[in-house]
Amino acid sequence: MLKFNIQKSFKGQDKHSKDLHFKGEVDLSGVCTIFGDSGAGKTTLLRCLIGLESCTGNITFQGQQWLGSNGNNKIHKLAVEDRNIGVVFQEPRLFPHLNVQQNLELAVRKAKNSTFTIHHLAEKLGFSDLLSHQTTQLSGGQKQRIAIARALLTNPALLVMDEPLSSLDVTSKRLLLPFLKQVSEQIPILYITHSEHELFYLSKQMLLVNDGQVEAIGEPQKLFLDSHLSLIKFAQQGLILTVLVKEYDQQEALIKGCLDGQILYVSAEQAPTTSQIQVKINSRDVIVALKPIEGSSLLNCLSAQIVDFSQDNQKAVVLTLQVQSQSIYAYITLRSFNKLNLAIGSHVYAHVKTMSIIN
Amino acid sequence: MLSAGDYQAIWLTLKLASLTTLLLMIIAPPLAWWLARSQTKIRPLIESLVALPLVLPPTVLGFYLLIAFSPEHFLGEWWLSFNDTSLAFSFTGLVIASVIYSLPFVVQPLQSAFVHLDKSYLEVSATLGYGKYERLYKIIFPMLLPSFIIAGALGFAHTIGEFGVVLMIGGNIPGETQVLSILLFDHVESLQYSSAHQLSFILLAFSTSLLVVIYGFLQKRQQRVLNA
Repeated sequence: MLKFNIQKSFKGQDKHSKDLHFKGEVDLSGVCTIFGDSGAGKTTLLRCLIGLESCTGNITFQGQQWLGSNGNNKIHKLAVEDRNIGVVFQEPRLFPHLNVQQNLELAVRKAKNSTFTIHHLAEKLGFSDLLSHQTTQLSGGQKQRIAIARALLTNPALLVMDEPLSSLDVTSKRLLLPFLKQVSEQIPILYITHSEHELFYLSKQMLLVNDGQVEAIGEPQKLFLDSHLSLIKFAQQGLILTVLVKEYDQQEALIKGCLDGQILYVSAEQAPTTSQIQVKINSRDVIVALKPIEGSSLLNCLSAQIVDFSQDNQKAVVLTLQVQSQSIYAYITLRSFNKLNLAIGSHVYAHVKTMSIIN
Repeated sequence: MLSAGDYQAIWLTLKLASLTTLLLMIIAPPLAWWLARSQTKIRPLIESLVALPLVLPPTVLGFYLLIAFSPEHFLGEWWLSFNDTSLAFSFTGLVIASVIYSLPFVVQPLQSAFVHLDKSYLEVSATLGYGKYERLYKIIFPMLLPSFIIAGALGFAHTIGEFGVVLMIGGNIPGETQVLSILLFDHVESLQYSSAHQLSFILLAFSTSLLVVIYGFLQKRQQRVLNA
């Protein structure tokens, strides 16, 4: 459990100070993602929590007081080095005067009975042959893998990551995401990201930060459907869904998947390596009909129910369609909405072009 | 060839420069760190005092030191309370003067390295579990080793080249305060040009090779660390 109630004020250049106030309580198991717009205060929150940025208030982590006042109004701050956390920054921050092995040994030297070893992590993250290299010769992806290994070698009680994959190539991401998910079963992870894909893939819990405050804490699937949150404009552009893989057709490069019991075809250049995939359906790509459309090229037809709708300032309508446990948004004109006589509770067929589903 | 007196002066000069450099490498890093990080109002004053030997004629510094070392003044009096001989015209006096005189040459490269040091390396060290001082001695200072070597080498070379201060407070005692630069002056004054040539050439060759090493090799390594 991580509990915090902290304030921080920034003095702006034109004497306007900006006050940030973060308050929340997260149950730390698996990955908890800090999500929000750029400039919302995600990194500041994280830096305050781990003690790299000064702030006032209270922070407790699993019963241990990190920040607070004890008795006679004296501020108690546990030093960063005593918090037993592993941190991965956006940039790898490896020490340039040491080679890879020596960089990792710095972490090992301070760790108490670590569950990880350099050898094991190097193999797992694919840098065994780089151990004797100078860090200045490595690529960004290689460096970040080493930085992740270094953070794990401190044997942390909490792993903290600030957009660790944002500057990496697709191959590195494909390697690291499942690895991090696996790690999170042993060590809780606090994870900042911009990417919805990482958010939905990794985390069961998200902390939505907006304008210097914690706006909501909860399951991503729920928060993305909550029309009261600042997230809604962003969420309504399209939602991420979890699809079970049934078969892969090599010739047609097509995955036959299952979304809440209904069939969904997704195009894919390669056979999926996992039994579940994440896809994104853009709300503008959804066609709503009262009957299944026949005689067209459309492959995907999902039976769904309208559970909510809202109108934006262009007069267009955003429908929330519940398939079963998962939902999708559909963005249609007011004219279509009226023509079909739609209302909450209406049963409709949502059609999505296979080629427009983002795998 | 070199005379016994010449060898004695070379040995004394090396002894003085080594001892001075050793002391400076103890004093300068904390001072440079403070100068690089401190926000207090007295920082510019301290920084100016440290830099003073760069602009002041060495004889001025030597003159004030000579007065301070004399038994009529506090420092000299205090020294005599537990020593038989005066601080002026002694090897110890030379070491103290050299430390003051060469201080900016050691502090400034270190200060510049500390100013350009990316704060993120300190943060990473803290998250790896290294405490406030531990992270400096175990990670940051080794990382800036080229800058430390440059600072030490400049301090060493500058002490070897010292003349004005030694002239004022040294007293030209062979084996005690007669360093190379003073002996060279003596040779020229007594018209022993061939001895003067030899000593001059030794000093020239030594200083040139040291600077070539600093600028050619060490500075590149320093840049590599600072730009990484």
